[in-house]
Amino acid sequence: MALDNKILDEINELKRKYEDERSCLLPALYLFQREYGWLSPEALERVAEILNIPKATVKGVSTFYAMFSHKPMGRHLIQLCTNVACMIMGGERLLDILKGRYGLEPNLTTPDRRFSLVIMECIGACDTAPAMLVDTDLHGNLTEENIIGILERYE
Amino acid sequence: MITVTINGTKITFVKPVTILEAARAAGIDIPTLCHHDALKPYGGCRLCLVEIEKVPRLQTSCSQQVSDGMVVRTETEKVVEARRAVLEFLLINHPLDCSHCDKAGECELQDLAVKYGPATGRFAESKRKYPENFEDPLIVRNRERCILCSRCVRMCDDVQGASALCVANRGSKAYVEPFSGGRYDCEYCGNCLSVCPVGAITSRLHRHGYRPWLMEREVATVCSYCGVGCSLVLQVRNNSVVRSVPGTDPGFNKGILCARGRFGYDCVNNGDKLSVPLMRRDGELEPVTWEEAITHIAHRLEEIKRDNGSDAVAGIISGRCTNEDAYVFQKFLRGAIGTNNIDSVAGLAYGPAQRFFERIFGQGVTANYVHGISNSDGIFVIGGDPTAVNPVLGLQIRSAHKKGVPVIVIGYPGGLKRFSKHTFITSSPAETVLLAALVSEVRQMKSFPGERPAFDEIISGLQPVPLKSAAEVGRFGLNELIDMANTLSNMTNPSIIIGRDIVQTSTGHMNLLFLAALAYLLNGKVYLLSELPNEQGLLDMGCQPDMLPSGRPLAIESFRKRCEETLGIVLPSTPGLDYAEMIEAAHVGKIKALYVMGEDAALSLPDTNYVRDALRNIEFLVVQDRFLTETARHADVVLPALSWAEKEGTYTNLERRIQLTRKAVEGEGIEEWKIISEISKILGLDTGYRDVTDVFAEITRISHIYREVTHDHIAGGKCMWPYGGGPLRHDAHIEGVDLPDIISVMKNSEAGGVHVRREAHLFHSQNASRFSPALQSISPEPYVKMSEILADRLSIRSGDYVKVSTEAGSITLAAYRDPCLPENIVLIPPFEKGGIFEVTKWKVNPLINVPVLDGSRATIGE
Repeated sequence: MALDNKILDEINELKRKYEDERSCLLPALYLFQREYGWLSPEALERVAEILNIPKATVKGVSTFYAMFSHKPMGRHLIQLCTNVACMIMGGERLLDILKGRYGLEPNLTTPDRRFSLVIMECIGACDTAPAMLVDTDLHGNLTEENIIGILERYE
Repeated sequence: MITVTINGTKITFVKPVTILEAARAAGIDIPTLCHHDALKPYGGCRLCLVEIEKVPRLQTSCSQQVSDGMVVRTETEKVVEARRAVLEFLLINHPLDCSHCDKAGECELQDLAVKYGPATGRFAESKRKYPENFEDPLIVRNRERCILCSRCVRMCDDVQGASALCVANRGSKAYVEPFSGGRYDCEYCGNCLSVCPVGAITSRLHRHGYRPWLMEREVATVCSYCGVGCSLVLQVRNNSVVRSVPGTDPGFNKGILCARGRFGYDCVNNGDKLSVPLMRRDGELEPVTWEEAITHIAHRLEEIKRDNGSDAVAGIISGRCTNEDAYVFQKFLRGAIGTNNIDSVAGLAYGPAQRFFERIFGQGVTANYVHGISNSDGIFVIGGDPTAVNPVLGLQIRSAHKKGVPVIVIGYPGGLKRFSKHTFITSSPAETVLLAALVSEVRQMKSFPGERPAFDEIISGLQPVPLKSAAEVGRFGLNELIDMANTLSNMTNPSIIIGRDIVQTSTGHMNLLFLAALAYLLNGKVYLLSELPNEQGLLDMGCQPDMLPSGRPLAIESFRKRCEETLGIVLPSTPGLDYAEMIEAAHVGKIKALYVMGEDAALSLPDTNYVRDALRNIEFLVVQDRFLTETARHADVVLPALSWAEKEGTYTNLERRIQLTRKAVEGEGIEEWKIISEISKILGLDTGYRDVTDVFAEITRISHIYREVTHDHIAGGKCMWPYGGGPLRHDAHIEGVDLPDIISVMKNSEAGGVHVRREAHLFHSQNASRFSPALQSISPEPYVKMSEILADRLSIRSGDYVKVSTEAGSITLAAYRDPCLPENIVLIPPFEKGGIFEVTKWKVNPLINVPVLDGSRATIGE
């Protein structure tokens, strides 16, 4: 995997921040996921190598956390909440819209690799329920009418 | 003092222990699954729950420490109920396929379910389903049976240090797997399968072939793979070794084994082993009777002795032969043939190194406990990766590193990559310069201990070498080097661990002097890595051209006379040829007959072509071995020998501990010493041994070192140097040590090019591993490791085939990129075909008489 210097610089920055290389593991995994969208076995190996941590240990840590993906994801990750507040406000109905418009179902990716969808258990935006995160952007007060307009902004 | 009451019994402890330990000390059994004596408390399985007075909830006894006045109950109704519930939870997903599970009969879960639990759970939902994983050649993983106690993962992380396993995912979806999810990429110590309480990790070697209740006997013996000599228990059925497990008594390996001890036992059962003697007739090796073979050998040896003199006969013995075999072999050559032409594989590095250190510090200086390594305050490793040469010794270094002990590695670190503070890899002459600079540096920081004034003088006379020069020659960063020199200078009782690669070089004699100086200045303990189980024993038994049994020089007439009187034989007084000299003499036709006992000379010496030519040149070659080895193919007579599991005897390990090897199965060959005795008898020297203890008794008669040592005494496991407590040679012979000319080494090392160096290989050690299908299956393909820079320059990716050429020959190997290597070094392990020896030119260091591995520059091409 061609590792761009930016990530390497950022990881070296992490190493300066923490006393122990093990402490850099989670932030380093985040960096790779941000850059490539998911954590491939090669990415895990690379993290292990850079931080001098056994690769099996890296795998154990990264697979423990739900926020890391271990299969290729779309260009944009939709994290839609269907927990109590969002459910009451119609969050679940938005799933049908996504399926109808993009053929997108939870934990899957559209064939054109544009979107991946993950159902979240509360993203802390109950005041604007129903809500979703697209990549790192929060969108609240979603309706069956406005959700497509929001998503169309993501190419 | 801490007094606790467990089930009404009061017990007092000086130091805090866990409740589990306290209960066990009181003879009370608490069931456990995740607990293992070799591992740290975990508290994961919840089976060891106990009731503690004034504590509201049940506590895990494996992790809870006792405190004064504590009142514990281990089998109350509440506790039993909780255990039953825990077991029921565990059985939710456990498949209950005991009828065809390899673990049945020794399964901890099965035993506990019988004792406490319901046979099955009330849980109605379907069980977790995973297919059994057969991707690995040696280890089968069954995720359904796994109870997630994580013993395997903790063993792999905390004890073995390989960290090849993890618990992937979490909650009900968690399972144990190696990084790849299929094949293991690890050291194959198999300690994960010995700690697995259920049948989740099992060995493929005895799949569906092992049932504990069907074993006919268990034989406690010693592993025959390397010089550490771990205790093993061989489990036998139908005259075949079904499984080997780590021994605990006297077991200084404490329940741990390496890949060779764990899986290498299949070389005993290997179907290719020889069963009848072979004799060359019309160019072909054909089966003959024992009588025919032995008479023929005796007559041919007699003829050659008559026509060419005794010194036209020579003998080479393998480090796998027992002390008794070795003793009889040298007695035969000296007493019946009349030559001192005897040497062994120990003469290639281990022997010369030990001889040098004993010359400076006195006999027995290398007899240090392996366990001492983790108690030293620093570790200096040079000349080979201990985790590949002597794996269980290597674990001591890893455990020291975890305690914060600084580890310095000079050379390829291999399995110590994550366990060293400083690593310096360079060419062999640059290593010598580095050692010289370190001695200069340490000399400035430390004063002389004053124990050996003559050695003080020598050290003072050494040319000072600045670290800067060493950094330039070795292409190291100066700051890192200064850092390392400081770490080294701060050590006050380091372990200095020396492998053979530092000896088998053109500057090997200098390296030994510098290392002795470091050991002296730093108050270090010296450990010599030993690739074979009985290298030390061969030296002790006198399988050296100038030494008699117990390390007495042949040159000292009073020693020789005493041996002659005790044995009633005449000993030749001129020193014989050593291993390297024998090969050279065979090349020019001076050696007419060579008797090779267990050694595969064609594959254990540099320059394979040169050695093969030498073997072809020998008029009469006898090989005594278990298999038709490369050397045996050149032989005129081949005699089937026995493996270590098929005979009784003793091995002396690298600590100089004598241990018993016991017969586990009946072999088809004859004991080595017995064959030699038969030939000896025809030649007029009747040894009169009835069994192996007779041989040992004679050894003890000849040397005061072994006074009062018997096989019974050895069986206790405490037969440590100095055995009989007899007086030792403490006198050193420091005079005559040449001061090295380090300036010319520095000049020589400046020459560029790619240096080929040997990589010690865990699964391809010496001949025995070649006959273990299990070990061969792990990494069967020879390879060359190179730096990323070199690989990039030549556009080589990992897995590409490249041609490595030197003046000795060229081989095509799979390439592997290793980021830790410097640009000018490539590594090749000693594979049978495509190994380092095929590209090393025959060259001998005349000062220590060892064939060297350095000096060849390689070209790498597609």
